[in-house]
This record gives sequence, C-alpha cells and structure tokens, in this order.
Amino acid sequence: MAIRPILQYPHQALKSTNAAVAPSDPAVQAVVQDMLDTLAASPGVALAAPQIGHAVQVIVVDVSRKKGERGHGLVVLLNPVILSLEGKKSVREGCLSVPDYTGNVLRYEEALVEGLTPEGRVVTVSASGFGALAFQHEVDHLNGMLFLDRIESLSTDLFRRKK
Amino acid sequence: MNHFAIITAFGQDRPGIVALMADSLYQLGCNIEDTCMTRLRGEFTMMLMVRLPESMAAEDLARRLIPYTTPLDLAVLCRAMPDLAATRQTALEIPTFILSVYGADHPGIVAQVARTVARHQGNITDMNTRVVGSGDRPIYVMVLEVQLPEAQQADQLRQALEELKPLLGVDLTFRLLESVTF
Repeated sequence: MAIRPILQYPHQALKSTNAAVAPSDPAVQAVVQDMLDTLAASPGVALAAPQIGHAVQVIVVDVSRKKGERGHGLVVLLNPVILSLEGKKSVREGCLSVPDYTGNVLRYEEALVEGLTPEGRVVTVSASGFGALAFQHEVDHLNGMLFLDRIESLSTDLFRRKK
Repeated sequence: MNHFAIITAFGQDRPGIVALMADSLYQLGCNIEDTCMTRLRGEFTMMLMVRLPESMAAEDLARRLIPYTTPLDLAVLCRAMPDLAATRQTALEIPTFILSVYGADHPGIVAQVARTVARHQGNITDMNTRVVGSGDRPIYVMVLEVQLPEAQQADQLRQALEELKPLLGVDLTFRLLESVTF
C-alpha cells in the first residue's frame, strides 16, 4: 500500500460528503491501509479518509503517537458516529489540512463514539481528553467540516460580549 | 516585488465602517491581507495589513484613503511595512502561555505586568484588557498571550508574577496554552 499526500484546503475533497462503507469491501481495506501508512509517516495522531482523497467514512486515531498520551492506542473506525459528548471546553485547534493556523473551537472533554472495526464488529469507544478531541475532529472531516467552521473567536475569547 | 503597508484607523462605531474601508482599499487597488479589528467601547478600531499596487508608495496611501474615509470621520494612519515583517511565517513551535490578571482597578497594573513579562524575555503576542464591574468598584481584567523562547523560563516568570500579586493587589493565572493539531 502507500503513503498518500495529505490534502490541504481548498481541495474540495475536504468539503465533500462521504459515503458509508461495508467492511467486506476489499477497496475499504485498501483505504484503511493507505490511511495507516500515511498516518505513520505524518506528524499527526489521526486521519480521516477524505484527507487522503477517499470520499468514504473511515477514520484512524492513534493518540499514543503523541508523547505522554495513551488513549486507546490505534483505533480504526468505519462509519463512526458520535453518540454523546460531555464537558464543553475551548481548545486551540489546528489541522494538517489547514497548515499554519490555529483557532479556538468549542469541543468536549468526553466523547462516546460508535463505529465498525475493519472486521465489521460494532464497537463503542469512550474517549476523554486529547483522545476525545481527536475523534471529534476526525468525525467532523467525514461531514465535510473543518475546525475553521467551528471557530468561536479569532483571539483570546474571554471577552466575548453578551448579546 | 510585493510591497506592503500597515493601516490603523478608528472612528465612532456604526454600521458600515468595515465596508467603507474595504471598498476604499479595493478601489485603490490594495489587497487586504491580515487584519485585526475590534470595538473599544464606542470606538471601532482597525489594524490592516495591505498589499499595495505596484504604482503606489505606502506614504501616498493615507492621502489617497482620506477622501474615502472622511464621510465617517475616521482617523487614518499608514506606514510601509518592511518586507521581512510582511512575510508569512510558518508557525513555529514556540511555547505559548496565557496570562490572565484581574483585580481592583488602579493605575500601573498593565505597566508592571508587562515589565515583568519583558524582563523574563516574554514576548506579548496578543493582549486584551477591559474595565468591568460596577461603576464605583471597577475591576481590571487583562488577558495576554505570551511567548517564551524556552519553556523552562516559564517557572521563573510564574514566580515573578506571583510576587507581583500582593504588590498590585491582583489575582492572576499563568498557564500553558494547549494547542492541538490533528
């Protein structure tokens, strides 16, 4: 398989809709392998299929790639959905597909995510902290959302005016 | 060769100020690049970095802008921006901290805090302050983004800031800004 270039906005793959997949589809297994190879060669901890140009609902997350983080190790999910989110927090977030820019976005401390393993088993992943952020970010990619769509303020946002 | 200017402009807040400024610059052939604008109480303030058309010198920009901005009575100042300063830089992994300071308002808070940050080689890269609270008991709130050349310097700066607390009668927190990239 292969290391693919990580697409950068304005590539339209990052704003498109992505199809649910069947684990039995050999093409899906090839996409998963490309994502794993690309992730391994990247400075990041997670990828979504549209970031390498595949319009399908697949994410790979491995927060243990970041020093001091363990999370659930490597997780590959097909057709992931977020079941619940808890504990709002503001995070300065960036994305490999939007280089050299970060913004304050509203995320959640805890995320419960359900999806299929590459073998077709239904799993739920309960992620917290950094791992929870990674899942929220990657599921956004599957919905054509970038962190830019979630920016709350361009600067330190403690002074947002009450409406 | 691209050349750039910085514009600062401000005037009494009302709808249409940004539209007027942007349209004026467009008509003069300037390309708006990075900007920062906000409202300070009743005054709307703008800082804009613009790429100038080849034929225009930065010194001429203010003069050319004023006929457009006069209807809204904006104060306008322009200056050429050195090429190096105008170049977009790749975001470096410089340790960045958020410092919030708040306390009963009195003169000298900003000066003392900023001096302390500077003495520890801290670079203030963003800052907002506001007087809040009731009229007879105003509270001063300031939030700074501070970059330090080395994360190890954070402890010394934190210590120095702690020592400021009783002197200034303020509370403060100094914390690493966590930035995550996926």
